[in-house]
Amino acid sequence: MDTLTAMRLANPKLSRFSPMSRIISFDDFDDGFCGYTQLVGNYEHTLDSMLAGYAQHTHPQLSNLANWDSGTHGAFDGNYALKIQTRPKRGAQNVALKRLTFREPGPIRLEFYFTFKPEANELRLSETDVRSIGFLYDLQTGFEKGGTRVMPHVRFLNALDGEHLQKWQTKSRTTAVLPLGTEGKTVTHYHLAPTDWEDLKNGEQKLCYNEIPTKVNWHYVRYDFDLRTMRAISLQCNDRQWDMSGVDPIVMPAMRNLWCMLNICFFAEADTDKRALFYLDSVCLSGEFA
Amino acid sequence: MMRQCVTAVVSRNEVWSGKAASEPYECGWAGEAIVWLRCLGAVKGKPGAAKARVQISPDGMRWVDEGTKLKFPAKEGAIAHARLTNFGNFLRVVADLPKGASAKILLTLTLKE
Repeated sequence: MDTLTAMRLANPKLSRFSPMSRIISFDDFDDGFCGYTQLVGNYEHTLDSMLAGYAQHTHPQLSNLANWDSGTHGAFDGNYALKIQTRPKRGAQNVALKRLTFREPGPIRLEFYFTFKPEANELRLSETDVRSIGFLYDLQTGFEKGGTRVMPHVRFLNALDGEHLQKWQTKSRTTAVLPLGTEGKTVTHYHLAPTDWEDLKNGEQKLCYNEIPTKVNWHYVRYDFDLRTMRAISLQCNDRQWDMSGVDPIVMPAMRNLWCMLNICFFAEADTDKRALFYLDSVCLSGEFA
Repeated sequence: MMRQCVTAVVSRNEVWSGKAASEPYECGWAGEAIVWLRCLGAVKGKPGAAKARVQISPDGMRWVDEGTKLKFPAKEGAIAHARLTNFGNFLRVVADLPKGASAKILLTLTLKE
């Protein structure tokens, strides 16, 4: 075992991750919000110009997973997790993100520990009340002619219309890019529209889901992506792994102001008129560069 | 350790009318909070006749009045605020606006350890 690996395995906070050689960010939400904020939609002159899909977003929260029947659940380690909470409406979404840029277009690895639940306002399992939880990168190449903005999306479709589907999906199309306002500087598009999700091949996965809506178990995700080719490499969730090389991300022409953008977004969707709660214990982003 | 301080925008550009409530916000990590309620315009009727009330909750689902009241800001740009301590883990703001009254609001929490 090399020294770097030995040092990481000896660190209890890092030993449950398998980062690439360079850790870009390690966010343990016991330490605060760590740069995660709400995704606010674009607007010009008035907030009324924001698309409805973005207007519904609210600020993420630091949660100790407090339950009415059993008290505080706590996080994977420590007390706090980042909570992304939708409004109590079927189809409602919420998104939290961290905004970075990259310095080396090479392989990057996103790892995180997560769980999800609906608001526990009924005395039943409620296992189909959360529609999905997911994540995406919002990326743009370094400044170049013919550059691209690339947005790989991945979600775990837990349920749809009350059916417990439990499968991973990806997306390779977004809605039309529309101008906002009158200054010709701002545009918008709704990449989290419910349309155009596609099943990942063999992407069904039975995640541990405990017996009542106030018990949670934490899950692990690892997602490898190459910033040079702007294509996904692989996805892992707990004991399952998928080759993602054949999965196309959303690709569009580069925007004039987003060069080298590296945004990490996490989102939740409700399938009933009940708040969906997506919890992140910790997130590690690493890359393979000197 | 430096104290954490976070600004959370809980309700943005929402039209409040009738029995209005902000989304529940979990913030038990904070020892103090300032609630800011700002009127963004679109005022109809007399929302200023109402008081906004701070509520607390043991579980984020069942709510009781905390006791603090704010005069509802009824003119574009007007801001009401209140300082809070000992609020437990969940906060929200509610208002019962008179019939025919509405306004667009921005609700912000300044939270500090």
